Amino acid sequence: MRCVSGKARFWSNLVLGAGTATLVAGAAQAAPLVKECSKTGEFVIGFSQANNAEPYRQHVNDQLTAAAKKVPQFKLQIADGAGNVNTQTSQMDNFITQKVDLILISPFEAAPLTPVVARAMKAGIPVIELDRKTVGEPGKEYTAFIGGDNFKIAEEAGKYVADKLLPQGGEVAVLQGLPSSTPAVERLNGFKSGVKDNPKVQVVAEQAADWLPDKAQTAFAAMLQAHPNIKAVYASNDMMAAGARLAAKGAGKLDQVKILGTDGLPGPAGGIRAVAEGEWAATFTYPTGGPEAIDMAKSILLDCAEKVQTVVTVPTTAITPDNAKQLMQN
Amino acid sequence: MNDAATLVKSAPVQSTPRRRLDFFAIAVRFQSVIGLILVAIGGVIFSPRRHGSILFLAPDNIANIVRAISETGIIAVGMTFVIITAGIDLSVGALLSLCSVLTATIMTTWGWGLVPTLLFVMTCGALFGCTQGAISTRFRLEAFIVTLAGLQVARGLALVISNNQYINISYGNGPGLAPPIFSVLGDRLFDNTVPVATLVFLVVAIVATFVLNFTRFGRYVFAVGGNERAARLSGVPVTLVKISVYAITGLVSAIAGIVHAGQFNFGSANDGTGYELTAIAAVVIGGTSLFGGSGSMIGTIAGAIMLGALANILQLNNINAALQLLATGAIIVVAAVLQSLVRRREGLGR
Repeated sequence: MRCVSGKARFWSNLVLGAGTATLVAGAAQAAPLVKECSKTGEFVIGFSQANNAEPYRQHVNDQLTAAAKKVPQFKLQIADGAGNVNTQTSQMDNFITQKVDLILISPFEAAPLTPVVARAMKAGIPVIELDRKTVGEPGKEYTAFIGGDNFKIAEEAGKYVADKLLPQGGEVAVLQGLPSSTPAVERLNGFKSGVKDNPKVQVVAEQAADWLPDKAQTAFAAMLQAHPNIKAVYASNDMMAAGARLAAKGAGKLDQVKILGTDGLPGPAGGIRAVAEGEWAATFTYPTGGPEAIDMAKSILLDCAEKVQTVVTVPTTAITPDNAKQLMQN
Repeated sequence: MNDAATLVKSAPVQSTPRRRLDFFAIAVRFQSVIGLILVAIGGVIFSPRRHGSILFLAPDNIANIVRAISETGIIAVGMTFVIITAGIDLSVGALLSLCSVLTATIMTTWGWGLVPTLLFVMTCGALFGCTQGAISTRFRLEAFIVTLAGLQVARGLALVISNNQYINISYGNGPGLAPPIFSVLGDRLFDNTVPVATLVFLVVAIVATFVLNFTRFGRYVFAVGGNERAARLSGVPVTLVKISVYAITGLVSAIAGIVHAGQFNFGSANDGTGYELTAIAAVVIGGTSLFGGSGSMIGTIAGAIMLGALANILQLNNINAALQLLATGAIIVVAAVLQSLVRRREGLGR
């Protein structure tokens, strides 16, 4: 768009009178995304979090807060949607009433939060969606989407199993998240797609354990009964991987079963430590997009950007015994 | 023994006036045991086999089943007392998670020893239940409402204390480390066969069965649930009994929370969701009436094991979770309908 505006300016300079209309049209298109942007001043960014009550969501909040702290002009406000679309909608409305300068949102559910995002955009507030989307076209109905790709993350985990962990092949199992949630479905399908790299790898069992360690332990214990030769288990989040390990331990198969997690959370109960200490074979980070979101906010509010990339997919990091110890120290 | 106790002793009989040798009623009374046998037979029939042996009956697998139900089983045992008094406690799952967080925090951050930690957490759980019972009786509020609020409070406290993180428990000797003996809750004894969590369930179940069936308090519990007014008139300390049963669910939730922390090596504010419903399901399948006055501890225990066995056989066959929900729902309906039929035959209505 910057290019178009440059062209418009060029023509307007060349054909003075006739070019004015072109200049106006070009300038309207090339306006910054917000009315007031500058290198100085104070900008309030409101973040409407779907739900504070999960370790992953807390991790998002932590990363966002840390990234925002590095920009002296930014003041970040986090509102907890409490896993309730109604609560989240009213918090979004509050942000609009407060006339915050930019809104970040992880919508708890897509369709019900689409109208309030539209209201914010109409009020001239750019909305960056983090991790989860509302319905509609990025760049129009909302400014941009930043998040990980669940399918690709799980696909990489599948490839890791197929190529690195079990090149000789073998039986593997999958612990799925809550089946009614899209990440659970995408991670299951992604993993199955990834292991297809190696036809000797066989997915013999898949069970939903609703993201919970206790359910994962029970389900994987049954899987190990039914399929005693399982060589690897892919858990769709870190906590289910912790549960799977307990089941493997209970069955006396800690040496035989390689455990893979997803999310790669930091902290003593997170996946990075578990890999560093050799409890699991690997975990694959589900990026928060926090730093990327603050970068985008910087270009919109401080650099007066006229356009931003409307869909930003943040890649996963494979946490393996090679890098886990180093990542622990960060 | 005094007159009141004698009167109370006859209370359950009062509530079922035309009792006769009724095989249907007896069958319903032990419906969960019969149900458990049916599920077990189904389990054997549909079990995958390996080298001719039936996986469902493999000792390992039985251990898996009884381990999986130990936490909800402990809670269901306590829930039986509450439901016999015609009450309900919805706070148990949240209280479990609060107590798991407390256990982890106290041992790792505060550095307390094992015994003080356990006593403290169990006291907290009992006091939480006591408070709910006291509010419910003092202000004549439905237990449903009070314990619904209790659920929110417990979950909120757990989130505040844990700062939305899993509180990891590392073992060892020194500051910030839990005593290694605590990890025994996640182990299996006797050549890796008997899960310790299940032993805790067993002990809780035996104590509870004794208290319900062989103590004056147990008779009071039936009396309060059968006919509160009659119980009060015959000198039963109704308020105290009601508060006590909530103290019991609080205590067992704390025990389940400790077992949870020990099994998973962390405390979490997110776990235990829906446990209250699983526990209530076990109690109802076990033949305890939600209208109070009758019920059995053996039924509850069989109900809990049946739910676990059902989940297990579906998982062994790699059948998805949706079917498990459908099956559990169907069983609860059948159990409730059977009880309703018995009540109608006994002329109690409803």
